[in-house]
Amino acid sequence: MSARFDSTVTTTCGYCGVGCRLEAHARDGRIASISPAQDGPANRGHTCLKGRFAHQFSRNRDRLTAPLIREYGGFRIATWEEAIHKISTELNRIKSQYGPDAIAGLASSRATNEDCYAMARLMRAAIGTNNIDNCSRVCHSPTSFALRKSFGLSGATGSFADIDAARAAIIIGANPTEGHPVVGARIKQATLRGLRLVTIDPRRIELADYGVLHLSPRPGTNAAVMLGLAHVVARDGLTDDQFIERRTEGYAEVEALLALYTPEAVQEITGIPAADLEAAAHIYAEASEASILWGLGVTEHKYGSEVVRLICNLAMMTGNVGRPGAALLPLRGQNNVQGSSDMGALPDTYTAYRPVGDEQVANSFEQRWGVPLSREKGYKIPEMFDAAVAGKLKAMYIFGEDVAQTDPNTTHVVKALESLEFLVCQDIFETETTKFADVILPASAFLEKSGTFTNAERRFQLVAPAIDPPGGAKPDLEIIQLVSSALGHEMGYGSSAEVMDEIAAMTPEYGGVSHERIGRHGLQWPVAADGTDSPILYADEFSLRGGKGSFAALPYKQPGDAADDEFPLILVTGRRLQHYNAGTMTRRTANLELLDRESLEIHPEDAERLWIADGQKVSVRSRVGRIEVEAKVTERIEPGHVFTTFHFPEVRTNLLIGSSADVNTSCPEYKVVAVDVRPIAEQPAYTPALAEPALSS
Amino acid sequence: MRVEIDGSELEVTPEQTLLDAIRATGGDVSTLCFDARQAPFGACRVCLVGVEGAPGPLPACTTPCRDGMRIDTRDETALRVAAAVVELVLSELPEPPAAHTELATVASRLGVGIDGPVRWPGPTHERRHDERHPYLALQHELCISCGRCVRACDEVQGAFALTATGRGFSANIAAGLDAGFRDSTCVSCGACADTCPTDAITEITLLRLNGQPPQESTR
Repeated sequence: MSARFDSTVTTTCGYCGVGCRLEAHARDGRIASISPAQDGPANRGHTCLKGRFAHQFSRNRDRLTAPLIREYGGFRIATWEEAIHKISTELNRIKSQYGPDAIAGLASSRATNEDCYAMARLMRAAIGTNNIDNCSRVCHSPTSFALRKSFGLSGATGSFADIDAARAAIIIGANPTEGHPVVGARIKQATLRGLRLVTIDPRRIELADYGVLHLSPRPGTNAAVMLGLAHVVARDGLTDDQFIERRTEGYAEVEALLALYTPEAVQEITGIPAADLEAAAHIYAEASEASILWGLGVTEHKYGSEVVRLICNLAMMTGNVGRPGAALLPLRGQNNVQGSSDMGALPDTYTAYRPVGDEQVANSFEQRWGVPLSREKGYKIPEMFDAAVAGKLKAMYIFGEDVAQTDPNTTHVVKALESLEFLVCQDIFETETTKFADVILPASAFLEKSGTFTNAERRFQLVAPAIDPPGGAKPDLEIIQLVSSALGHEMGYGSSAEVMDEIAAMTPEYGGVSHERIGRHGLQWPVAADGTDSPILYADEFSLRGGKGSFAALPYKQPGDAADDEFPLILVTGRRLQHYNAGTMTRRTANLELLDRESLEIHPEDAERLWIADGQKVSVRSRVGRIEVEAKVTERIEPGHVFTTFHFPEVRTNLLIGSSADVNTSCPEYKVVAVDVRPIAEQPAYTPALAEPALSS
Repeated sequence: MRVEIDGSELEVTPEQTLLDAIRATGGDVSTLCFDARQAPFGACRVCLVGVEGAPGPLPACTTPCRDGMRIDTRDETALRVAAAVVELVLSELPEPPAAHTELATVASRLGVGIDGPVRWPGPTHERRHDERHPYLALQHELCISCGRCVRACDEVQGAFALTATGRGFSANIAAGLDAGFRDSTCVSCGACADTCPTDAITEITLLRLNGQPPQESTR
């Protein structure tokens, strides 16, 4: 093989949270081919069409290769010196005029742990504010919050290997064969070997065809589903009483609450037949080892974090935590959505979720960085936009995130970006967001830089450059350090490995992590000082005070939006196999040939009633916005619901999403939006003359 | 339980095959239809080894270890049969396999097709290409019917998009109903191209890298 290529580098995929290890083969300074690493712990010699093929974006002609500065209503090419000078001058001006809290930064779940840590340090130490957040806010922040409350740590309790060891599994609110294709394939393999799989989703996802049972709840009723399952488990004596007694607290309140959620009552709320609910509860609870996997269909709701806690309840009731095959596995969306939060790119926590108000922790960082640090929590992403519109936030530094396409309520986001006095974007392409920038810095893609990503199994894995950044683009860590230096705070990292050494030194949970130790097989946190890692958490005790898991007695509450006469259908948004998130990368590859446009999935019954034909352009209107998109008539979706994604900027799906968000974490409710769908009338080629009106009175 | 491989003893478990045991000792036998990501298939007979007491050479990839087995990876009959198998495979190809392919590696290890043409000249497969997929190319004339792509699609990806077709000399593979990847259940994961030992399925970008111009899809 090697003769065909100039070099081959083993790295970690930068698309989804599965964390496939890849062999990136380069020739003449470009990626020639990518193949899966045979020893990749998550992918075991396999990968998907995004990881394997969607790499041509890295040398797409649209790549940003020089800094751009806004001037006279347009952008002009600038030198790095000019761009950095402009940034430091403006940020210093705003800081002295309005204070450090008038500035906010966004780290990126696409970027490395080291990049995110440095970005958080830039905001905290160089600017002096805790206004730092990352895009996990809009996807799995509810998971992170709830797992910490129920079990203690913010990550999956096990590994993907638990899918192989499980006898039964529930997948709720995830579509792994499209969103996480390699895990989807692993689940398929497991079902073909006899895993009893229950899928729960308003859409009939592909894995439903491999499972033993599919439940289609109404969007926004996941809590009722989980309570109903727990009711049946308790009613039919399927609980692990010893586990509940010895390892948990708070079950009595849950038990009392569960009495209300009979299968019949749950059928009323969710639309799931009572008998199916009972069968699902038995499949899960009767298996010796059972796991639960979930995705954004659970979290991106008004009560998303509460549903995650109810998932934890069910696992604790049946003792399905902390053993091989008995795991809770959130399918994290982006490649480093786990790590970006672990690294403390959050407005309220330092590394490993230690509060910014914790005097001891803050002190240790003050000593390390040599500057005083704020003890006040910063703005979460949606609060940043609100503050910008209110005139309290004056500048933003957005790194690797296209908020104007991916965040909800696009109109509001755009208004916020327009309200800023100064916006820096650090990205690999111009995006909807960079349109509002004052300075754009050309950054590096994952194939061009070094560091680590942490996958959905809490596994640190190495990222290594296979090619150089194009033109004048620079690795993100270098850019962040340049800006920091210009602001007078010298970070002084000679390499990404040195950043990781600091992270390890500052964070007991990652104490034993180093690039050298991570090696080819990765390390799953917590990592002890001697390098011992943790594939399975909570084997003996939970990481809460007293070592006990915490039950949460939370009732079902209605979602933030509901269908009514004016908006009679419920829109659910999600992902498609061929594309990734905002599509910035995949739309610049031949994946576009495989899927070149967005569509709105609609059930044949609804389509017929609304006079909508397959392939016809329709108008979709919500309470806050309106888009146009092609209809796709399919039975994958239940009547009363429609489905689309936000991969294509020309469709701008997020114009439709309102401001409803998770009550605990502000994660937007992308999954329940009441809409009105109707065909767009075609313009007739000519208007036939009306017959002369008959003479009448 | 223990087995002896080329004179050295090894502790094994009943789940291990002879191939597992041989590779555990750091030794190797050539394989062609084997891929560690897939269940053992045992179709090509290239991994033959000698086993004391057996009536003839046995395929290492599908034979389970048994206590006291004495295995000879350099057994003359086994190597002769394996070489003949590979030579027969080569004899059907219109051109020798590209140097980077697994088939070329196996052929050279077994000393086949290096010094001039193979014995048994006869009909070779007719060129039939399909490059309608943006990433995946089918070069049917290079197919040796090892079944690896079909099993990758079934066992690794679970897409069931590829099928073995035809018999004997006309045995080949088909995507979907032989209408190409795009009109099949293919999810474009590329596992077939990754496992193919001959480039019968490969990446279009790699063909271009080797200077091969775009082909008219012939079918």
